[in-house]
Amino acid sequence: MSLIASVHASPLGLLLVLAVIVPLCGLAPLLLLKSRVAERAALVFLAAGLAIVCVLCFEVARSGAPLAYFLGGFKPPLGVGLRADGFSAFMLGVTAVVIVSAGLFAMTAPGADAPRMPLAFWMLLLGVWSALNLVYVADDLFALYVALELLTFAAVPLVCLDGRAKTLSAALQYLLFALFGSVLYLLGAALLYGTYGTLDIILLAQRAHGEPALLAALALMTAGMLAKAALFPLYLWLPAAHAGAPAAASAILSAVVIKAPIFLVVRFWYDIATPAQTAAVAPILAALGAGAVVLCGVFALRQARLKLLIAYSTAAQIGYLFLMFPLAAASAGAGAWGAIAWTGGALHLVSHALSKAAMFMAAGVIAETVGHDRIAQLSGIGRIVPISVFAFGLGGLSLMGLPPSGGFVAKVMLLTSAVQQGAWWIAIVILVGGLLAAGYVLRVLLPALQRPVAEVVPVPVARWREMVALALALGAVALGFVPLQPAAFLAIGRPASWEGAAP
Amino acid sequence: MTFAAILLVAAPAVPFLLALACAGRPVRRIAPLLLAPAAVPGLLAALLVPRDIFVLVAPAPFRISFFLDVPGAILLGGAALLWIAAGTYAATSLAKDPRRGGFCVWWLLTLSGSFGVFIVADVASFYLAFALVSLAAFGLSAHDDTAEARRAGMVYLALTLFGEALLIAAFVMLASGSPQANPLIRDAVAQLPLSPWREAILLLLMVGFGLKMGLVPLHVWMPLAHSVAPVPASAVLSGIVVKAGVIGLLRFLPLGVATPHWGLALSVAGIVTAYYGIALGLTQKHPKRVLAYSTVSQMGVVATVIGGALVQGDSAAAAIAAFYAANHILLKGALFLAVGIAAASAPGAVTPVLTLAGLLGLSLAGLPFTGGALAKLAIKGPMGEGAAGFLLALSAAGTTLLMAKFVLLLRDSAKGRAAFPLPSQGLLAPWIVLSVLALALPFTLYPLVTGERLAAAFALVNVEKTAVPVLLGLALAFALHQRGPALPDVPAGDVLVLAERLGPLLARGLAGVGRLDDVLRRFGVAGLLLAGLVIALAVAVGAAP
Repeated sequence: MSLIASVHASPLGLLLVLAVIVPLCGLAPLLLLKSRVAERAALVFLAAGLAIVCVLCFEVARSGAPLAYFLGGFKPPLGVGLRADGFSAFMLGVTAVVIVSAGLFAMTAPGADAPRMPLAFWMLLLGVWSALNLVYVADDLFALYVALELLTFAAVPLVCLDGRAKTLSAALQYLLFALFGSVLYLLGAALLYGTYGTLDIILLAQRAHGEPALLAALALMTAGMLAKAALFPLYLWLPAAHAGAPAAASAILSAVVIKAPIFLVVRFWYDIATPAQTAAVAPILAALGAGAVVLCGVFALRQARLKLLIAYSTAAQIGYLFLMFPLAAASAGAGAWGAIAWTGGALHLVSHALSKAAMFMAAGVIAETVGHDRIAQLSGIGRIVPISVFAFGLGGLSLMGLPPSGGFVAKVMLLTSAVQQGAWWIAIVILVGGLLAAGYVLRVLLPALQRPVAEVVPVPVARWREMVALALALGAVALGFVPLQPAAFLAIGRPASWEGAAP
Repeated sequence: MTFAAILLVAAPAVPFLLALACAGRPVRRIAPLLLAPAAVPGLLAALLVPRDIFVLVAPAPFRISFFLDVPGAILLGGAALLWIAAGTYAATSLAKDPRRGGFCVWWLLTLSGSFGVFIVADVASFYLAFALVSLAAFGLSAHDDTAEARRAGMVYLALTLFGEALLIAAFVMLASGSPQANPLIRDAVAQLPLSPWREAILLLLMVGFGLKMGLVPLHVWMPLAHSVAPVPASAVLSGIVVKAGVIGLLRFLPLGVATPHWGLALSVAGIVTAYYGIALGLTQKHPKRVLAYSTVSQMGVVATVIGGALVQGDSAAAAIAAFYAANHILLKGALFLAVGIAAASAPGAVTPVLTLAGLLGLSLAGLPFTGGALAKLAIKGPMGEGAAGFLLALSAAGTTLLMAKFVLLLRDSAKGRAAFPLPSQGLLAPWIVLSVLALALPFTLYPLVTGERLAAAFALVNVEKTAVPVLLGLALAFALHQRGPALPDVPAGDVLVLAERLGPLLARGLAGVGRLDDVLRRFGVAGLLLAGLVIALAVAVGAAP
């Protein structure tokens, strides 16, 4: 207790609250507005949220210490603590970039007569953002539960915005599986509360010492998160849900929403469990990751629809994040945060977020322009929407892991780590995954560059929406210039403790 | 930065920036005119930049750096000459092509990457440049967008990406022996003999770069990709792009440390390739395919030389291998341009074209008093008098035979109208200039590379050495032409056709795996797996100490 008593909230800790609250504040006024005005109003909240996250990330980087805030001034275990270390700030930043880009993509351009996104989209967008931010800053298992539920209930309707029977059933499947995940999570949290009398992650880490309840809780909560993250073999809901949503929503779902449960898996195993426990579980997580990379990659090769192909690619790409576990766990304890695998995994996460968002947006533009997304009939599409095809290609470059791209640097970091630790099977999976990605990306890209087979009358699409996709893809390429060494930012405030939160 | 440093960096940077500038419509419209000037900084760099200069563009941790040594400068200079000549040719030949804008972008990117591989000093930049030249070359070979070009492009891309995967694995293993994240190539290679994964690295490097050079059986993409591209693109693909593999071997193999078993393996692969290329080339019916197989054969010769250097731990052979490769750049480039020239000539006016093309071909085989003879003499130094040296010398007879076949096919390909017996100046001039340079330039480089006086090359014993295989080849060609057996009609890419039979098998396998997808996406199955996962995780974590 003395440890907690000595802790004070950081002066700028209020930013953590604002990051969660500001998007939520947007919900109420939007309800009262017409969809045309709501767009502009949402933009104001998106800008405000982006500014808050920027200041927050800057502050963490400047001070080199995590930000902390205690709700109502009560410290854990009485109160709820919010905390943003380097990893959290990184996730907040990635999320903000993708959400704001999706907002810009979904905006109706002045003068263009593209279909307007319904009011609900803007409300759900802000809801998803708030929930994601809460996942990244909350240190309390119950607050995290609330965040996960808010995330599910904001993300599921995004899938079925168009109200077609097919997307409704996809959304229902998503909802059901996400609820399974929530139930498992809640069971685990209840076990922990009953045993240790606290829900604060950092206090749990201090009190837990390998009791059976802890082990059971970790297993339950992890499995729940894997269901929500759609890690192989629990990906059944992902393809239909991510492919059925409107492009802007698909981008958010694939790029950031499924990263939140993965973030929590990292926290469970690196903040609560002991290094030995993590090392014991890591091979299972990596095996599932390898299954995702290889098998979902093969499944992606077989898809007939562009958006389904991209969705399967997401199911494959999250596998890489789980390959990171044994590599980072091997450099146990505090060293894990300085390990090259850790930076590689984080870089893969952000590169995938940017490139996948760009690819879904590009696919959306393509589908709007030619009226379908059947891959077999997309020959010559490069002449019709060159910017979108270029954005798709650049995003694909990162997925394939070719230079220069963030995906390439991430691949090299993970490979380096695998080679240094003699984890040859992981190295081979990484390389095979890159080849499979090349297969499914080129399956779309090569015909797109060929001569068109049939004349299509393209529906004009606002240029700036293509530019949003291109900007994201260029961002993924620019990440290829990240130096090949562990990033100090990600290690700020790690391993987690309230001690480090003191000003 | 000094002037020399700026010039060196400009060699790859200028074409790259021009490629970016092609995003603007006005630049794209005049792009064909930019192709030749874009390669000029590379030529100037090869001529003016002092040897063994090191330029650090971005400090640690990036360490983007450039380095120009003798082998790099020889290849850079030879490549720049061909890029300029082929670029001039392309400016004319593509003037009416509706898709020339895109072609020029691919051209400039390939150009940038090809200069890059010759002069970068750090591992990461090399991989970047290597990927750029390999992938952008796809755009050149796929330009014509015929069914044949599409197949060639697919095969090329698939093998290229496979090669990239092997090389990144090799580079990562290589770099992890070094304290820096992105070591200089020479530092990393200096550590290589001590690496615990030395054998694996060498194998991956040889297969990865051998694929780029077209060593048998990894040559299958070359006859396809090099024969479907427009003529000037074929010239640079077959002349220059394959040299990315040569410079890769020269840079990354520890030539200074004797590694006999790997050197022998590379030599054997090289000799097999040298003869295989000739044998298969003789069965071809299209002049460009004959040339492509000849490139396969010639790269086999280069690989043999490098393998010999590796056996003896003789790093001085790098310059000689580069010299031989540069000679091949110019000759093969000029020979490919000759295909375009001959096709545009009237049957009655084609004889002078055939004469010059024949001379180029004989130079490739080592006809005395041509540049090619000097290249053949130069590689005799490191190869010595052993079996490898003899087999290489004898392969020149095969090359002569192959070139005779090429000239005959060239004669039959003349389809121009009598009203315009010869193609325009814009096509003829770059070809003639390049041909003259190809025949003459080795004379200036020979003393520099071998350290011998030029007069030694004209000594009777040396003239004999190079003349015998050529005469033998000519006699053989004449005999075969008079009453030769009918040669089988082997499709381009030979063994690829066998590999393609596996295609349906692979598709069926994929479909089988795909059915797993349908099973896994059943709700009941996923629910069971979720429950199983909880148990598996609990058991695993419970077993932890």
